Amino acid sequence: MLIFNVGALARQIGVHRNTVTNWIKSGKLAARPATAKKYIISEQEFRKFCTREQVQGNILNRILSKADAEKEAPITRKTQKIPQREPSMKQKNLGSVMVVGGGIAGIQASLDLADSGYYVYLVEKSSGIGGAMAQLDKTFPTNDCAM
Amino acid sequence: MEKCIACGLCAEKCPKKVDDEFNMGINKRRAAYIKYGQSVPLKYAIDPENCIHLIRGKCKACEKFCPTGAINFDDTAKIVKIDVGAVILAPGFQPFDPSPYDIYGYGRIDDVVTSLDYERLLSAGGPNMGHLIRPSDHQEPKNIAWIQCIGSRNNNRCDNTYCSSVCCMYAIKQALVTAEHLSGDDVSQTIFFMDIRSHGKDFERYYENAKTQGINFVRARPHTIDPGPDGVGASLRFTTETGETIQQFFDMVVLSIGLEASKHSIALAQTFGVELDTYKFAQTGSFLPVSSSRPGIFVTGAFQAPKAIPRAVAQASAAASTAAVMLTEGRGTLTTRKTWPEPLDISDAEPAVGVFVCSCGINIANIVDVTEVARHASTLPNVVYVENNLFTCSADTQELIAEKIRTHGLNRIVIAACTPRTHEPLFQETLKDARLNGYLVEMANIRNQNAWVHQREPERATEKAKYQVSMAVAKVVNSVPLAQEMLKVIPRALVVGGGVSGMTSAIAIADQGFETVLLEKSAALGGNALSIEKTFKGEPVRPMLESLMEKVTAHPGITVETNAKITSVSGSVGSFVSDIDVGGQIKKIEYGVAVMATGGREAVPTEYHYGSDERVMTHLEFDGNVMGIFRKDAKARKNEKILPGSVREDSSVGEISHRDVSMAGEGTAEVPGSIVFIQCVGSREPERPYCSRMCCVHSVKTAITIKESSPETSVYILNRDIRTYGVWEKHYQRARELGVIFIRYGVHDKPRVNPEQDYISVKTIDPILQMPLEIHADFLVLASGVVPNDNSEIIQLFKCSANEDGFLNEAHPKLRPVDMSVDGLFLAGMCNYPKPIDESIEQAMAAASRACVVLSKETMELDAIKSFVTERCDGCALCLDVCPYNAISLKTVEPPGQDTAKLSGGQGDELKEQGGLNGRAKKQIITDPALCKGCGICFATCPKEGIMVHGFTMNELKAQVAAALA
Repeated sequence: MLIFNVGALARQIGVHRNTVTNWIKSGKLAARPATAKKYIISEQEFRKFCTREQVQGNILNRILSKADAEKEAPITRKTQKIPQREPSMKQKNLGSVMVVGGGIAGIQASLDLADSGYYVYLVEKSSGIGGAMAQLDKTFPTNDCAM
Repeated sequence: MEKCIACGLCAEKCPKKVDDEFNMGINKRRAAYIKYGQSVPLKYAIDPENCIHLIRGKCKACEKFCPTGAINFDDTAKIVKIDVGAVILAPGFQPFDPSPYDIYGYGRIDDVVTSLDYERLLSAGGPNMGHLIRPSDHQEPKNIAWIQCIGSRNNNRCDNTYCSSVCCMYAIKQALVTAEHLSGDDVSQTIFFMDIRSHGKDFERYYENAKTQGINFVRARPHTIDPGPDGVGASLRFTTETGETIQQFFDMVVLSIGLEASKHSIALAQTFGVELDTYKFAQTGSFLPVSSSRPGIFVTGAFQAPKAIPRAVAQASAAASTAAVMLTEGRGTLTTRKTWPEPLDISDAEPAVGVFVCSCGINIANIVDVTEVARHASTLPNVVYVENNLFTCSADTQELIAEKIRTHGLNRIVIAACTPRTHEPLFQETLKDARLNGYLVEMANIRNQNAWVHQREPERATEKAKYQVSMAVAKVVNSVPLAQEMLKVIPRALVVGGGVSGMTSAIAIADQGFETVLLEKSAALGGNALSIEKTFKGEPVRPMLESLMEKVTAHPGITVETNAKITSVSGSVGSFVSDIDVGGQIKKIEYGVAVMATGGREAVPTEYHYGSDERVMTHLEFDGNVMGIFRKDAKARKNEKILPGSVREDSSVGEISHRDVSMAGEGTAEVPGSIVFIQCVGSREPERPYCSRMCCVHSVKTAITIKESSPETSVYILNRDIRTYGVWEKHYQRARELGVIFIRYGVHDKPRVNPEQDYISVKTIDPILQMPLEIHADFLVLASGVVPNDNSEIIQLFKCSANEDGFLNEAHPKLRPVDMSVDGLFLAGMCNYPKPIDESIEQAMAAASRACVVLSKETMELDAIKSFVTERCDGCALCLDVCPYNAISLKTVEPPGQDTAKLSGGQGDELKEQGGLNGRAKKQIITDPALCKGCGICFATCPKEGIMVHGFTMNELKAQVAAALA
């Protein structure tokens, strides 16, 4: 049994999702509605359909093998995300930090991180950094110039 | 953007004027603009909402005039995807906008301005160049009022209920600074307030000083603001404490507006999926004060809660530290270090000077005849190449300079342009790229020190510029390549103090992979937190403290030494060496940085019969001995007996009106019927002129616990100002809702306490009723302040400093709140100033972050501008006392013959004649380059050129003076 959702299947075959919906409506793809906006079709039927529509063998196999994997270990949303993310974090991103806001707090956080060996992306929405402190004339209690 | 040289022509030629938001719309800017003069990056931007070309397709004036072709109208916003390991959100706050509220008169009355408007009016870089004039008639205001808590501590009309915690102090600052901006002695400043909250380090002194400077503080909230006569100034009506209604006229009224979450930051929180609290600030916990509700996303600054600059800066470092702990493995993987080619050996080469004269667009060229200056330069000795550039600092000119160095064999460079403060590093890099030592460049500041100040005398300005160039050439000919010393950093940290701050710092440093030694002078870790029940947010302290203690003892990177103290210190940042005494045994440790977290403690009161009557207690004693009864479930206590307590007007006034709150009942334990807190015991007094910051919140929180558990118990808090700063204002509100009675007393009219057999009599005067009151209390709780632990040994050993109250000093009260004045030393927690647990943890994490900045470097490059000892030094040691950095010390040099031979001719002979060295040890000074900052005070003090500063040697200076006098 293959359980699929229209959008995902359309992406895998390489057609628009409306095309898939039309196939189902017209009976070309003999799938029955399942729960949660998904459809269900027997593997045999699906193979027949694929030969009819000339879907490449490797795509068919990928779709079916993924279905097998899903059957064996039902993947919840949480577990799906973590294994994908962690390796990429370790490889690419571990050494960098994004700091949002270029006021005195954002500047200090960026300086500390950059000075201790992290790549920093400092993101500021206006055309210059400095924030509210740059607008101040003097600061208490020493009356130092804020600039 | 790379092409922009910030000449400002685009802004000059842009025909479109719009309100300048940086100056709060007081003046206009163009559609091509920079935010402010010192803007970083210093690149002009085009405001797409106002640019005539971008709206209507015409104009392009800026493009026509831009000398570098930097204008690109097609440059639009792009979506850039970046992958990062952590995110720090620091979107800040928005100033409260009073314009929708008619009662404040903002927008309706010209001379009612917000505090941020006023800040711009005061600023030398502001719309009026720092000349203070009121908006209505452009006259100097003489009589100015500030109204506090605009948009704070108010839930009437969509204001904010929290305290913004900075407005009291900035209003006092503005009032003080105002006097400097106005002529004449008839200036009058009045601040209308509810409570003055000067709860930071040295803030109370600032407030007391303001009072002596003649600033009027009026405890009232003006309820009506009307325009003044002829539309100038404003009239305020307010009711004094005695109930009298007063109308007063002011030339100008400043609304002390609060800080609130902006719609941008709320949207940002949604984008990142982090939770906000009831006030729309980021939700955080007391023990993880910079961690948002989502892992990997950290928050800091006014986005987390309204706060002043030092705490925002410390929090930013804390966020950096927390992110760094998470990403320790990735440190250094994505960053690169710039390297330069090996410099050429020029020791044998004749000086060949290249002079580059900058026009700075029109900045210099309009006043100074730059071609004439260039011609003059070519006549100077040793000058082999001269050129005039439109902008010597532009990227293409750097390439040109490098090329000329190669083709003309230049080995010294003079840049006649602007200030070395901003541009010297750039030219030093250009030289290094061209295989010259970076210290072979000299700048002649013919802009700031010439063109800008002599605008009316172009001819004499040109003459002066020639002299400036001559001087620079004369000096640079005598310059020599200087080496920057490298110092190896010992990757180990020492943390002094095993309280919450010290333990947090130690863990944060060790988690970043650096070995840490934690010293605790007592036998056990924990510090003050051992006697604290809950944080201000209500989290129980004990579990957190236990997990901290477990973590430090189990951490493989942390060595805990109890019963330990430091006995000696030598070395400087990157490599300190100390002996530590661990229970009588001396151990030697080497470390690169140290964090001071020596803490503070509750002061022992001497007043109000403390010590003689056991019903009079301090906060911590009360928490430990009495509060247990209130922490029990109210139901379990249902049948317990409540002691009688009563309040009545003092019998001496005649009238007696008992309000008996005794609730007789059958039970086992006795619940007190009446509890009195007295605030500021020993604080804000001449002997301890500071506010201990947390006693108000502590008393109020305790009062809430009592009232929630036993509503029948009467709780009185006698105070001078209630300082529940920031979001803790909610506790003050809650306490009042629960019926806690707050009575203010004056510093000269303190409560009088008399212990009686069955009760403690507390007599005070209610300022609203103007009546004496007597309260019969079962317990009297004294909110005694915090005193620092004794830091004198630390101060002596490390040569660091403390303020008059004994709290260790930071390097800069705003911008370097956890660095100490001695490099490589950091501080955290109550040794710096009294503070609650969450702020101590923030500071501890910040100190760890700053410490790891040093520890993460294997070596440190020191600046080459340092003092050095010459052979003329005879060890008179005059320089020792003047050195502000303790970089100079005296040493004994082994005598005899061969040493004298080494001395330069004349000096050695002299000494021989005097028989000075025969058989006797010679004294000489040595300087520590790691401590020296190159200030030159030693050089100026030395009567015999025994010590000089690299880059400013006598030869260089003499040549410069000679050129100036030529």
